[in-house]
Amino acid sequence: MTRLISRRRALVEFGIGGAALILAGCDTSARAPAAGGSTLLSVWGDPSADGNLTVGPGAPLIDRTELAQPSKLGPELARIAHLTDAHVLDAQSPARVTFLRRLGPPFNSTFRPQEALTAQVLGGAVRPINDFGPDVVIQGGDLIDNAQANELHQAFSVLRGGRVERASGRGPYFGVQAAWDPDPFYYRPAIDAPVHPRLLADAVAPFESVGLRAPVFSVLGDHDVLVAGVVVPTSVTQQIAVGDRAVWDLPTQLNVGRVSGASAAPDGIAAPAQIDALIDELLSVPGVHVPADSARREVSVEEMLGALRGFGSKDGTGALLDYGFDVGTALRVIVLDLVRRGGGSNGVVQVGQAEWLARELAAAGDRWVIVVSHQPLRSSAGGDALLALMDQHPRMLALMWGHTHKNQITPRKAANGGYWQISTASLVDWPQQARALRVLATEGRGVVLETWMLDHAGDQGVGELSRELAYLDAQGGRPQGFAGGALDRNVRLYRQAARS
Amino acid sequence: MLATSTVVAYGLATGFERSAKAADLADVIADFQPQPLSRVVPRIDALPDLATASFRLQLTDVGLAANGHFANDGVVEVLEPGRQGFAILAGHDLSGPGEVLVEQGLARAWGIRVGSTLTMAGRGSLRVIGITETPDNVAYPLATPRVYMTRATYDAAVGATEFLPFCPPGELERLRARFKGHFRLAANRRTCPRFEGRQAQGGLGPQSSDPVVNEVDLWARSQSGLNALLVQAREDSYGIEDLSFVTRAGVRVLVDQAAGIVIALLVALSVVALLTAAVMLAASARADVQRRLMAIGVRRAVGATRRHVAALGAAEATLVAAPAASVGVLAGLLVASGPSSSLLYLLNERPPGGALAPPLVACWLVAVAIPVGLSAWPAWRAGARAPSALLNGGELRGGTGAGRGGAGLVGLGGRLVLARRMRLFATLAMLGISAAFILLMLALASELVTLENDPSALGQRYQLLAPLPASDARAVAALPGVAGASARYELTAADSFSLGETIDVIAYPGNPTKYEDPPLASGRWLTGPHEAVVGVGLAQVLGLSPGATLALALPSGAEVRLRVVGTVSAIEHDGRVAYAPAGALLAADPAAPEQIAVRLDSGASITAVSSELASLGAPPSPTATVAGGGSKGQTLVAALTAILRAVAVVDGLVCLYTLIQALALVAVERRSTIAVLRACGAGSAAVQRLLAGAALVVVLPALLIGVALERLVLGPAMSRIAESYAALPLAASAEAIAVAVLGLLLLGAIAVLWVARQADREPIAAGLPL
Repeated sequence: MTRLISRRRALVEFGIGGAALILAGCDTSARAPAAGGSTLLSVWGDPSADGNLTVGPGAPLIDRTELAQPSKLGPELARIAHLTDAHVLDAQSPARVTFLRRLGPPFNSTFRPQEALTAQVLGGAVRPINDFGPDVVIQGGDLIDNAQANELHQAFSVLRGGRVERASGRGPYFGVQAAWDPDPFYYRPAIDAPVHPRLLADAVAPFESVGLRAPVFSVLGDHDVLVAGVVVPTSVTQQIAVGDRAVWDLPTQLNVGRVSGASAAPDGIAAPAQIDALIDELLSVPGVHVPADSARREVSVEEMLGALRGFGSKDGTGALLDYGFDVGTALRVIVLDLVRRGGGSNGVVQVGQAEWLARELAAAGDRWVIVVSHQPLRSSAGGDALLALMDQHPRMLALMWGHTHKNQITPRKAANGGYWQISTASLVDWPQQARALRVLATEGRGVVLETWMLDHAGDQGVGELSRELAYLDAQGGRPQGFAGGALDRNVRLYRQAARS
Repeated sequence: MLATSTVVAYGLATGFERSAKAADLADVIADFQPQPLSRVVPRIDALPDLATASFRLQLTDVGLAANGHFANDGVVEVLEPGRQGFAILAGHDLSGPGEVLVEQGLARAWGIRVGSTLTMAGRGSLRVIGITETPDNVAYPLATPRVYMTRATYDAAVGATEFLPFCPPGELERLRARFKGHFRLAANRRTCPRFEGRQAQGGLGPQSSDPVVNEVDLWARSQSGLNALLVQAREDSYGIEDLSFVTRAGVRVLVDQAAGIVIALLVALSVVALLTAAVMLAASARADVQRRLMAIGVRRAVGATRRHVAALGAAEATLVAAPAASVGVLAGLLVASGPSSSLLYLLNERPPGGALAPPLVACWLVAVAIPVGLSAWPAWRAGARAPSALLNGGELRGGTGAGRGGAGLVGLGGRLVLARRMRLFATLAMLGISAAFILLMLALASELVTLENDPSALGQRYQLLAPLPASDARAVAALPGVAGASARYELTAADSFSLGETIDVIAYPGNPTKYEDPPLASGRWLTGPHEAVVGVGLAQVLGLSPGATLALALPSGAEVRLRVVGTVSAIEHDGRVAYAPAGALLAADPAAPEQIAVRLDSGASITAVSSELASLGAPPSPTATVAGGGSKGQTLVAALTAILRAVAVVDGLVCLYTLIQALALVAVERRSTIAVLRACGAGSAAVQRLLAGAALVVVLPALLIGVALERLVLGPAMSRIAESYAALPLAASAEAIAVAVLGLLLLGAIAVLWVARQADREPIAAGLPL
């Protein structure tokens, strides 16, 4: 898909860039965020570090030359949007273990102050992606949070466009964040600072989504098929999910020491056995009566794979969501499924995946290759073998993942020229961003990958509340540095010409 | 009076903020059970809006000695490097080993200076290298003595632990389990680390370089984000026991309430006194113009315009008022600044110093402007009259009142005063109000004794607690001297969410405000069966506000959930208190401990009522029990009494001035009468009798007015102001009234002698009619 930039487009982009430069020189105190969410034009930040997000000037692309020196830009080859870890969740589901959050790591992700607004944030991310105009959208996994059918329905509604109904329950919000819940460890927006009395009402109100215009290709994430991203759904968890009994408070007799000692990835603990033991204990403690809802049923792996393939990822029919597709004529994307079918949040390379990847890489021919997974290969069991394969490929351009919820870009140097490892932030934790990628040819048959972050926007203020809460969250992305540094966000990543 | 009021009111109203700013007081102070620093720092670093934080280990019940003084309840603050929330008043900050900073209240009380030596629990001498002001609490002796040192100094000083109390059974084992990995426990140690801190060889020694802290001071970048910071801190605090947050505003509430009702009353008193002073200045200025009517008539007769007369009146008033105001302001400053500063030092607050200049200049301007304006205005009005009328009006003509007095010179003096009814009214008003204030201050001073040194008693409106069953409440209420009695339930509950908070739960069957009425900070008091009112301290810890739900785990194991409808500025138990309806509490725990709260009639004897209660089966405990020794209360009361005394002295001077002014006007207006008497052979004693009659006509009604005003208006009004703090019967006693009567009579005698002496100096011929 070699593409020359038209004169009109060049003028438009020149105009946008000029506007960005003008804005950069202006006072930032009353700046409005860029309507398209592009961080090239405006950036949310907290320059005074007082917890209040303000809009600052856009961040220009920075050249990164660890793998190749800058060279003259040529025609655009492809545009991709990487949207990952939306974690659209049913905040009223009894299958959640929100009370574990107070124990701190590794349970940070079991509750978030902004968790009731995940669908709205995903809806806000759709607009900037459409404005960016990608050839394809890669949905990088963990589209939903708790492997529930109603979460999936809600997320697909957002991505397809149209009216998005609440995830579950009827009437007002009924969950741990209600003002009447006395538990002080939950942020209750009607009474806790920052006070947002209408937040929960807005969270359960239906809204309209414009839907993604570009084709969507999905990566499977652990939260898409595992309860809390860790546990394989069973009849017990199924019963809890659709039932009318929830546990909101940390049971006093809970064996905290056993579960808190677990190691974890940022979005869930690694060892499902610990959660299994916890579930057994939870079944014996008093709970809260909540409205039952059969829409909360847990989806199986097969059902999820079918749904994702039916939604956009047409390739493949096997037990893994491994597939490849071309973007134009110069780029091939290979999707890897590293989700542990037996439970656990960290990735695993299954038997036969290395061979499959080798075949896919070989089949890419003279196209540049981007490999995408949900979990990072470097921390996945058996990932080294796949990395070794990619190290040998002469036209490997980038390896992308989500899961860590963190913006990070590092070069991986290899004999064949190396490639860029790109981790993209989540939509659920601060900084709640998606990633725009543009592949351009460079002089001398090289290539450059321009990438910048896209903020969610145009979500009628609700999304901005989510961003504010995500930023304030003391267990969230801000203190964990999920936004990354300047070199992890808006950069131009050069790759030298393929060595024959 | 104006200046006195200003000095006191301004100093108290601005003291905390001034000191907090100078000391760079933290926005939030968090106390908790000791934790390794490495466990606390990540949670603190994750907070939004955080500018910086400093960590401390606060040790309590440490023996301190210096200059022959000793205290075994000392507080040692072991500082980690970083920003600190205190100001160095003298000397310099900690910089080397063996150095200690001493809080200014302790330094004043013990005579400690920079360079002095302080001994910590007999464990060696420390050199005092600075005196600090820390407005996060009141000063010694209202609070425990406090010193600061670095961790290195502390470790070096505390080589062994003899001064620490012995461990209760099992305590050492509990600490061993709790701090496993952080401490090396000697097998044969019997001493107990009360503060659970790091100690050197011989006791609990550190195995790592991870010090233990139990206090964090937080500075926010923006006050607007402070609440969000607190919410995040609370949500991130699981597992840290006994956590309490106090914001700078909360510290102010605590410090202000430590001085209690007295500060509120003094501020109110100052405001009222200011208004009174203005009225008195206005009345005296008007009387002065009245006295000068003849001179105005002369000026008009020789051609002076009305405007000229008014300007001249203003100028003359300025000549008198300016130096008088200067002297008055200076006197007020001198009289009030000492006692006011003493009180501020006790509160760990800084006297205003130079900042007092603008309000005092304003006082001076007011003190000059009021008499000038009020002299110019009647002069302007008088200038409108014909010169002949003014000249005739300069001497009193026969009036109807003059014939109704008694016989003799005393009666004549009375008739002369009664002849000028408007002036008499103004003089009586001035003297009456002044007398009322004197009586109020005397009543207040006597009530201070009951409040001394027990700030936690604020808000309590009962005087006795009887350990009797609730069913005896009716019988207790029927006892003589008892105004009311109610069952009172109190127990210690825990929060239901393992925050480690203990909550003092208090319940009454009916309206609790009859017996306990701490000031409402938000919301309202209880009206429903499942409602709660919580202390601000508890509200901050649990994130409660009106509309939220309070969940309490009772000692019985039951849980009770109540809807919060209000918060109160209670200070006992750091504000971690909850008021609940008895019905809700008893439904969850029918065995809740019960007592009977007893309110006494005004003037009823606590001893007598106690005897009556004892006859019912249980000795009551008075609520005014002084905790922590008497010296704290005595110091505070001494400072407050000094202020009251200063205000009373100034008030007395105002009375004297008013009396002299009234008698001088009589003498001037009746100069011809006096001259005739003197021409007929009357001596100075006769003139004194004449003026004494005039003085009595003023003083005696003024006393009646003063007593009535104090008992019917000012006393009840002040009691109402105070009722949210304490039940204060501020009606003047018979003794106070007797003191006021004698005092005013004495002032009247002084005024008579003064004016008679002035009249004697005038030649007789000068006063005789032409």
